[in-house]
Amino acid sequence: MAEKVRKMNTVKASQIFGDYIVMLIAPCILSVLFYGSRAVSVIAVSIVSAVLSDILMSIVLKKKFLLRDLSNVFIGAAIAVMLPAGVPLYIPAIAAATGVIVAKIPFGGSLRAPFVPAAAGFATVSVCFKEAVFSYTENVEDKLLGSQSLASLLSQGKSVHFNLGNAFDIISGNIAGPMGTGCGILMLVCAGYLFVRRRGALLATAGFIGACIIFVALFPRINASLLTRIILELSAGSLLFGAVFLITDHATLPQGNINRVIYGAVCGLACMMMRYHGTYEETVCFAVLLTNGFSPVIDSFIKVASSIGKRKGAAEK
Amino acid sequence: MSNNLTFRDVFIKGAVIYNPVLIQLVGLCPVVAASTSLESAAMLSAALCLELIVTCVIASALFKKIPRWIRVSLYLIIGTAVVCPILWYTETMSLVNLSLGMKIYVPLIAVNSMTAVHCEQFSVKNSVKHSFFDAAAAGIGASIIFILVGAIRELFGAGTIGGIEVNMPVTFKGMALPFGCLIILGFMAAGLKAFVARFYSAYSDEEENTVKPVQEYSEEITEVELFEEFWAEPAETVKPFVPVKEQEAAPEEVPLDIPEETVAEESAKESTRSFDSVAELDAFLRSLGIDIDEKGDKQ
Repeated sequence: MAEKVRKMNTVKASQIFGDYIVMLIAPCILSVLFYGSRAVSVIAVSIVSAVLSDILMSIVLKKKFLLRDLSNVFIGAAIAVMLPAGVPLYIPAIAAATGVIVAKIPFGGSLRAPFVPAAAGFATVSVCFKEAVFSYTENVEDKLLGSQSLASLLSQGKSVHFNLGNAFDIISGNIAGPMGTGCGILMLVCAGYLFVRRRGALLATAGFIGACIIFVALFPRINASLLTRIILELSAGSLLFGAVFLITDHATLPQGNINRVIYGAVCGLACMMMRYHGTYEETVCFAVLLTNGFSPVIDSFIKVASSIGKRKGAAEK
Repeated sequence: MSNNLTFRDVFIKGAVIYNPVLIQLVGLCPVVAASTSLESAAMLSAALCLELIVTCVIASALFKKIPRWIRVSLYLIIGTAVVCPILWYTETMSLVNLSLGMKIYVPLIAVNSMTAVHCEQFSVKNSVKHSFFDAAAAGIGASIIFILVGAIRELFGAGTIGGIEVNMPVTFKGMALPFGCLIILGFMAAGLKAFVARFYSAYSDEEENTVKPVQEYSEEITEVELFEEFWAEPAETVKPFVPVKEQEAAPEEVPLDIPEETVAEESAKESTRSFDSVAELDAFLRSLGIDIDEKGDKQ
């Protein structure tokens, strides 16, 4: 029986990251549609850097290099689509190398990493190269927001007049911002794919988005209707991308259903708090990294709470 | 401790094998906060070495018969007494241009955990000479790390070494922040562990580690994913979440090597058992845990 259960529940890195890569194809294509060959360069440099970093570390540590686990490709592509198209090419290379060398290899691989490597890579370059990472000069043709991102506008308390004319641009990500993460429609499609493949992971996404919506409803920072506020906040930056791709990382998700909802809600709360009071307009990676540290704590807390509840129930009987 | 220990023995142990910063993880606060440049790291190292040596020597000479709960306070007082004049002298004579952050963290050296650990673990149990060796070794070991970290952070964070500009293509602002220092310390600690394991294998604790470091990362893991299917299955057939380890630990059912015919005969005997006497019946019932008194009532 134990053997059967183990066989049933064996998970391969290639399966998990293969799914993520299938999901990432759409944001990558969208980036290429919006930004052309520049997007191809950024994505290619990022992926190559991640793979080469892994090969280099495998040589140094005398370990077997596994390309087929596909995690390096995912790390590289995920970092690339979170960056602006006009970013200097050494930045995606550094971000991907940092994600692999600092957040993945020392912990024994991406299925054992306690922090999401893609989030770690992006957070590092956000801190080290803030001006370049949050500069959207490549989007000069954008007539809606100019070269200022939606997240930046919201952080200044400025709203965007939301009408039928610009609604599609905003929810399709055709505004100044990260290359491929602003399209809310695509993120919903990706979430649908994840629902088919690993629906348990989406509980964290639900908790995350739910917490963000409640926070926006309770604490408005722009003068607009509730629906407009929610749409603008969710469409800004990489929030939805983080909710679908980063927070659902297999290695860092808690082990139970309630735990996952709480984990997602804590992450959403942290993300919105950082957006409102932090110095960076893109906070989802920092929130994910912060919440990764609490993942085992949430598991332990729920375990203790449920055992106390069971004891009380038994005592009452 | 044997008396024939040389400085080399103590130095290799104190500075390399049990390096205070990388292996014992003491004194991390000053190194993370203040070693942002080579100059400040050198200043910090000099103050630390002096404070550590003086405190350990005094502890070894005077504190052996003083109760422990008083000793720790005394280490801090001596450390403060040593560091305050250094800070005052440095500021007054303008030897080193200390930044505000540096000024805040230099006094922390006086109360850092490295002093308390070395005084308590070594100095009060050994001679003055050996305490001096130990303190000097630990101080030099920590200083080397401070200076290395300071140099790396200055080079990659500001593109200079000791204030001299180096032509770096890219500089990382994050290196000046604590997280950059902790990443450097982590890789240095890993490198030192590998060095000790290779050249001083007798001192390597890799075999004794209860939590083994991950040697190989394989493609497969054996996480239970049953809860992933909780919506897919009908409510009646949902299985509770049981970790694989617990299932493996649970005793498995061992099949009995008794032929089916024998089992059938035994059960037939049990169902048609007859007793020749009351005493035999009584004994049988007692074997089943049923106690019957003379009147035939169950106890």
